[in-house]
Amino acid sequence: MTRRRLLPYLLAAPGLALALVIVLWPLWQLLVIGTGDVNRFGQVRGFSGADNLLAVLADPDFHAALGRTLVWTVGIVLGTILVSFPVALILDRDFHGRGIARVIVMLPWAVSLTMTAIVWRWALQGESGMLNSALRGLGVLDGNVQWLAQASTAFPMQLLIGVLVSIPFTVTVFLGGLASIPEDLHEAAALEGASPWAAFRTVTLPLMAPFVNIAVILNTIYVFNSFPIIWATTGGGPASSTDILVTYLYKLGFRFGRLGDAAALSLVMFALLLLFTVLYVWLVERQQRRDA
Amino acid sequence: MTRKMRRTIWSWALLSPLVVLTLFPFAVMLVTALKPASEVLRPTWLPSRLAWENFGTMWQATGFGRALWNSVVVATLSTLLAVAVSIPLAYALDRHRFPGRSAIRQILLVTQMLSPIVLVIGLFRLVVALGWVDSPWGVVVAYAAFSVAFTTWMLQASFAAIPREIEEAAWLEGASGWTALRTVFLPQALPGIAAAALFSFVAAWNEFVIALTLLRSEESYTLPIQVFSLVAGRYTVEWHHVMAATLSATLPVAVVFAWLQRYLVRGLGAGAVK
Amino acid sequence: MKTLSLSLLALLAAAPALAQVEGTLRFTVAEYSSATGPYFEDLATQFEAANPGTDIQIEVVPWDVLLQKLTTDISAGVNADMAIIGTRWLIDFVNEGLAAPASDVVSQEVLDRFVPALLEPGTLEGTLYGLPVAASARALYVNDALLSQAGAAAPATWDEVRTAAQAVVDGTDAAGFGLQGNEIETDVYFYYALWSFGGDIIEADGTSGLDSPAAIEAATLYKEMIDAGLTQEGATAMSREDVQNLFKQGGVSMVITAPFLANQIAAEVPDLDYSVHPVPAGPTGANFTYGVTDSIVVFENSQNKELAGAFLDFAFQPEARARFTSGEGFLPVTTAEAALPEFADDPTLQVFTGLMANARFAPTIPGWEEIAQITSDALQRVYLGEETPEAALTAAAAEIDGILQSNQ
Repeated sequence: MTRRRLLPYLLAAPGLALALVIVLWPLWQLLVIGTGDVNRFGQVRGFSGADNLLAVLADPDFHAALGRTLVWTVGIVLGTILVSFPVALILDRDFHGRGIARVIVMLPWAVSLTMTAIVWRWALQGESGMLNSALRGLGVLDGNVQWLAQASTAFPMQLLIGVLVSIPFTVTVFLGGLASIPEDLHEAAALEGASPWAAFRTVTLPLMAPFVNIAVILNTIYVFNSFPIIWATTGGGPASSTDILVTYLYKLGFRFGRLGDAAALSLVMFALLLLFTVLYVWLVERQQRRDA
Repeated sequence: MTRKMRRTIWSWALLSPLVVLTLFPFAVMLVTALKPASEVLRPTWLPSRLAWENFGTMWQATGFGRALWNSVVVATLSTLLAVAVSIPLAYALDRHRFPGRSAIRQILLVTQMLSPIVLVIGLFRLVVALGWVDSPWGVVVAYAAFSVAFTTWMLQASFAAIPREIEEAAWLEGASGWTALRTVFLPQALPGIAAAALFSFVAAWNEFVIALTLLRSEESYTLPIQVFSLVAGRYTVEWHHVMAATLSATLPVAVVFAWLQRYLVRGLGAGAVK
Repeated sequence: MKTLSLSLLALLAAAPALAQVEGTLRFTVAEYSSATGPYFEDLATQFEAANPGTDIQIEVVPWDVLLQKLTTDISAGVNADMAIIGTRWLIDFVNEGLAAPASDVVSQEVLDRFVPALLEPGTLEGTLYGLPVAASARALYVNDALLSQAGAAAPATWDEVRTAAQAVVDGTDAAGFGLQGNEIETDVYFYYALWSFGGDIIEADGTSGLDSPAAIEAATLYKEMIDAGLTQEGATAMSREDVQNLFKQGGVSMVITAPFLANQIAAEVPDLDYSVHPVPAGPTGANFTYGVTDSIVVFENSQNKELAGAFLDFAFQPEARARFTSGEGFLPVTTAEAALPEFADDPTLQVFTGLMANARFAPTIPGWEEIAQITSDALQRVYLGEETPEAALTAAAAEIDGILQSNQ
């Protein structure tokens, strides 16, 4: 009988071990480097405690990047969820060419994120970019917009790209959720004379909640750490005005050679994400207990 | 007009902004890839002629064939590994109630929280210690490890849609746990497994930072590195090659998406057998 | 084919001079263009053929991620035997004891081949650590067709630049003066003006020169040109490559950049009517170009220094060097190369080599990358009009002083 009880642990062990090794060891390294007196080549020369962390927290660029990261994350996650839900609803019902529509919506997932960002950067070029030439051809623009030359136009573009590349994943999650709602629930609601909107509110939304939650959590994690989009389009500039924490971290570590500070920063980012996830899950579970 | 026809028009109308925005970068890629080299820097949408030979010259110039093969090997092996360990993990999380279940879920989530940029130094040292630098194995294991969390989540979602009754029925008929799993559960789970495998494959196919760090010789570079090196820090960038390379790297995956799109959704928990 | 047989001849000629060496050598090569990888692979193959028992492994890395890769390699103790690096990084390598003195690896005869001035940037406290593998300077490219259409003459001073740019803007569709405001060497673009006004990056007293009157004057010059519409639009999104592309397209009439643009023009737009001139001078007639070298550094922890020396001896033969230098569009680093007709007789290159006499290099001080970034950021804010030149540069100078102090 103990074998029976051990079974789930045995089943879970290989997967868990694999996932943990790849994270635990580097995490340990980050702690060592983050609390160490380390040269620009990652060679640890001594222990310096919280010095690196304090240096980062005192840096005004850190605070600016932090604020911007919050805007970045909330903006993209919210935008993605708000777009993906209706899109999933549309794709859930049969119509001519639905298969093609689904493939198109999924296409951004097929391209490496770095290359997507590079292509967008190419297209957003002020003088020789194809977005400007398209918009001018359509009569929307008179002259060229220098999209990436200042943060006021560059950052919204980066947010847009972020949403576009997050949609395939989120739509997939929602489609799965919608497909898992048993048919008879919809039929029952229809039989009881509920309007489509009421049925949506009382049947679809509550049953989709777990899927929305997982979409929010996973998207938040991926978006918070998302490096290629901003890096390839503006490099965090001009003058660090589009820097988020992860691009600021790259500069600290691999340009300025302040690896100790970069490691400390990465631990701060990790703590922030952990805090968010724990809080979110706690809130959701509290809500579920209330509803029950 | 039939209801379906009306729905078709509405659906496409509502989807059109997203379709345009999604297809825009691909259109840019295609147009630029087909421009003769002298026109590449001009932002016109119609090339003077369709320079199909760009794909050929790109293939030669970037060692595309070799990088393609490396990517295929690495992505396939890492997917197999990820799926192999995730299936039992997902099964345990879905089918069994045991202490530590939600802790495991949280831990898996945590493994996603560190950006590859941040892990690069530590990961590299680990791979060096194991002697796997420049070997595909370091990359394969790293990809599989990162993939476990998401693959497990997808598998769990699809397993949840398979009613326990069919396994229990098999047990009642005297089949052992393992046989029931093989003959009754797995066939039902196949679409979900295929979907999870596909996403793991695509993530590995497109991954860049870890491959760049762990691989050193051009013979072992994967596609994302080869394509990136066309753009990254050269004095002259041959944009038509860059776009042709990106399209070529994306095409296989897009084709598989198109082929499997029916199963992708089903794999996530649809259509449970009543 | 002709170059190949010439190389073989050079090889045979050099063969008796090569010591018998064996083993494996790893060389991290920074990628300049699509020709870089094949060039070094070819070199490696030739060397291996002349020295059986040797294996030269070329590891090609794009420039954008070179420092990142070197850092991770070094941190894990698995760096290659030698690497191409930006000479501005050399001081960090030397300070950490990672670089081997060049005289430990190659003979004096090899060292004597180099143009002496080019060895300066790689020499720290009297010891040479990096062998220059690529050198370039900067000069003003001018689109003669646009200028004559506008009725302007090629400028020699900044005032003449403004006049010419205004004429181009008024008389043609093109932009006047190409101003790089993004990515690497944004700060360098500013230094041309800074130096011509008598300013310095680091003052004699060791503090930043960004808050000097000359610096503010230079930045004001650029800002006024932007505001007057004399430059191309969107400077803060234009990297050097972007401005060069615009120049090749005839969209801008002037740009300050390196010799490799001439190669690109010859390959891509051979009909472009252009000429090369010295960097614009300031009111005193002073003009200085920016000199850059990239160095090959041999790592102190390399177990194959003898093999590295033999390979370097081989790589710095005139024939091999000529192929590299002309292929990539650089300036000759050895005197033998410089004497070859393809370099000595090329008028465009002559302008550059003439400018080398007045070349200034990036200061070899620790923390230079960060200082350059602070300067670039300040300039971008000025170009965008977010801060006045005085405010932005004074703040940047203060920040840089902090770094200079902490690194002492």
